[in-house]
Amino acid sequence: MRRYMADHVVPAGRVRRKPPANEIPEITHSGNEKAGQSLTGWRFNLLAILFLLAGTMITIQLVRLQFSPERSEFVSLGEQYSRTLHIYYPPRGDIYDRWGRLLAGSTLVYEVGAQVDNVENADTLSFALSKVLSSHPEYDYAGYSDDIFSVIHRAEISGTAYVQLADFVTPEELSQLQDWARNYDNLPDVDYGDVGRPSLDGMVYRPRLQRYYPENELGANILGFVNREGKGMFGVEAEFNDLLAGAPQSVWMSLDPYQVTEIPQLKAGADLVLTIDREIQAAAEDVLANALIDSGADGGVILVMDPNTGEMLAIASTPRLNPNEFWNYADVFTDNTPFNRAVSQDYEPGSVFKVLTMAAALDDGAVTLDTEFVDTGSIQIGGITIHNWDWGAWGPQNMQGCLAHSLNVCLTWVATELGAGQFYKYMQNFGFGRTTGIDLAAEAPGRLKLPGDTDWFEAELGTNSFGQGIAVTPIQMVMAISSVANGRGEMMMPHVMRSMVRDGFQYTPTPQVIGKPISEETAHTLTELLARSLEGESSDALIEGYRVAGKTGTAEIATPTGYSTSETNASFVGWGPVDDPRFLVYVWLEKPQSSPWGSVVAAPVFRDMVERLVVLMDIPPDDVLHDLTGN
Amino acid sequence: METIQQLTHAYEQAPWRKQMYMIGMIMLVLVSVAIVAGIYLNVTARAAAIGRQIQEMQVRVYGYHYLTNDAGDEIIPLEELEQRIANLTSQLAIITSYKVMQERVQDLNLEPIDADHIEYMKVPGYRDRQTSSLAPPPEPVVVNASAIDPQFKESLFEWVAEQVQKTARFISEARP
Repeated sequence: MRRYMADHVVPAGRVRRKPPANEIPEITHSGNEKAGQSLTGWRFNLLAILFLLAGTMITIQLVRLQFSPERSEFVSLGEQYSRTLHIYYPPRGDIYDRWGRLLAGSTLVYEVGAQVDNVENADTLSFALSKVLSSHPEYDYAGYSDDIFSVIHRAEISGTAYVQLADFVTPEELSQLQDWARNYDNLPDVDYGDVGRPSLDGMVYRPRLQRYYPENELGANILGFVNREGKGMFGVEAEFNDLLAGAPQSVWMSLDPYQVTEIPQLKAGADLVLTIDREIQAAAEDVLANALIDSGADGGVILVMDPNTGEMLAIASTPRLNPNEFWNYADVFTDNTPFNRAVSQDYEPGSVFKVLTMAAALDDGAVTLDTEFVDTGSIQIGGITIHNWDWGAWGPQNMQGCLAHSLNVCLTWVATELGAGQFYKYMQNFGFGRTTGIDLAAEAPGRLKLPGDTDWFEAELGTNSFGQGIAVTPIQMVMAISSVANGRGEMMMPHVMRSMVRDGFQYTPTPQVIGKPISEETAHTLTELLARSLEGESSDALIEGYRVAGKTGTAEIATPTGYSTSETNASFVGWGPVDDPRFLVYVWLEKPQSSPWGSVVAAPVFRDMVERLVVLMDIPPDDVLHDLTGN
Repeated sequence: METIQQLTHAYEQAPWRKQMYMIGMIMLVLVSVAIVAGIYLNVTARAAAIGRQIQEMQVRVYGYHYLTNDAGDEIIPLEELEQRIANLTSQLAIITSYKVMQERVQDLNLEPIDADHIEYMKVPGYRDRQTSSLAPPPEPVVVNASAIDPQFKESLFEWVAEQVQKTARFISEARP
């Protein structure tokens, strides 16, 4: 039974069939099957050869491309699509006044562009943009709509993914665009014919920061502005551009999702705290504006400095540009007018310079307060005759009289007593002929002709002694006179940057002493002399309750045909309170019309400025101060 | 000999078993490869998807928005937040600017005071108005006054320990 079953039923894995020893291999394929198999093999072989050939050709092509002349072109094409260059700009640092009030910050504007593939109707897009931006200064021209259309059209042809259509779009303008877009979205689905359905699809925007000056024109000459390229122009913006702007970073962002590039952490630009006091600056600009109206002067400058530290509290200069609308620059600054006259325009200062001539002579010992000079009304020097401002002879005068009456003849004599060598040595020590180093862009060095220069003549000593034939900037005058005003004889470097905030710390540099051109004693003596001079002359510069020292200046203006007698530079420099100097004020009015004299047009401006200054700086009147301090 | 052949045949795998074995092995390899490929695909797909998400976020950080239906408004990138803060700071400066404050002064019928209308008095302990301080001053730099180089003071044991730590730090940093 078991054998039977073994012969007919073979249980798997249990019984193995033993093949017959003389078994002939079985012929399994017929002749037709063999033919079929060879046919199939032929086809397979052909297919294999074809695949092999294709593979070989691909390999050859790959190798060829690696060594082809177009390789670099292909590589750059590939890179173009594999990564994009992004430049990340850190936010520009803010600028504050000395009390922390923002003078220059940032505001949101928008870049508007088109994602070309998503643009549904380029006509609508260009029409909407041109209408909404019709009052925008850069897009307010007739062909803007056509320009947008052609830009989009070119981008479609070239396969460009994104094109920028407008920049510095304001939030109000963007809001209008969004309203337009919403209105188009709500249009009914009807046939719009060849013009197509109106749509702003494809239009995108990106927020960015733009420099903004919340005070508009206030302090504009100090601040400067930032142009469309983000570069600081003039003033603090230009001087500290690198510091304020921070370091932009360029990053190639890979489009490969496996190679996500990290967005760099940007270090923001440093914030600056200025020495400027917004209220004093506003007062100075207001006083200057009134002075220009009253005197009919072409332009003017008022500088307010703390003579103890060199900190500039105000720098008012005309004309002024609203830095938020810097594109009006050419309209505001015509005829090569500098952006800030106080640092960039040199002029012949006139009699205010006598303060320094006298300071040099007193310090050198060439004269004393009691030295007498008999004024005959003229003096010969270097072949020219110098007269007084009134062409009169003032007779015997001491040094106080010489300054009080602003006698050119006397000061020329003082300069000759001092000698050219000493005079120019002192003038160089006062910093003339070179920049002061104030931290504002575009400072002019002025011109101090020295003995030995080809264009220096002996007569220069005489004219220079009363501020003619020498080119100085108002800031140079302020720096030089700070040595007298602070009572220490130390000349302080004028500066507008009080401190810098960077990496979470506020760095405040110490005030710098440029030099000590005169002694403390000379400074005190001269201050007392000038205070008495003002009091003796009942000057318009005197302020009730406060004792101040100062000097007027009237300079003729050099023209190609000689000095003009009808046009002058009227100046006044003064400081106070004499017992504890807190401010130094310099006034310069260019070509005043109401009167050519500094004593008439500039001295009252000084008084107006100081009257407001003592309130803003909490300076009590002298008698009150003496009562309070018990001195 | 025949006995050996018989034994060989007796213990030889059946052809169909060999085939099953081969098929099993091939299937095992195929399944293994499929599993590995599946896991690889899964991981790489997720990585790619997250990569794309990151790129989209970066695009948003770089900041393109649609005029309407901007779905990403609830997620504000850090850069845009900073921009908004800067903008608000400027807005605040506008409403406290000199010109605006002067207009408010006029609206309130206030007048600037003259010097002769001010009364001064002595206030013990009064501190004058301080200028703006936006941040603390930098910390003073502590200069090591020791004149002897640390290398001359360390023991051999300290030097060896230092070298070991340096090497370990180097290896850990070099590892991706």
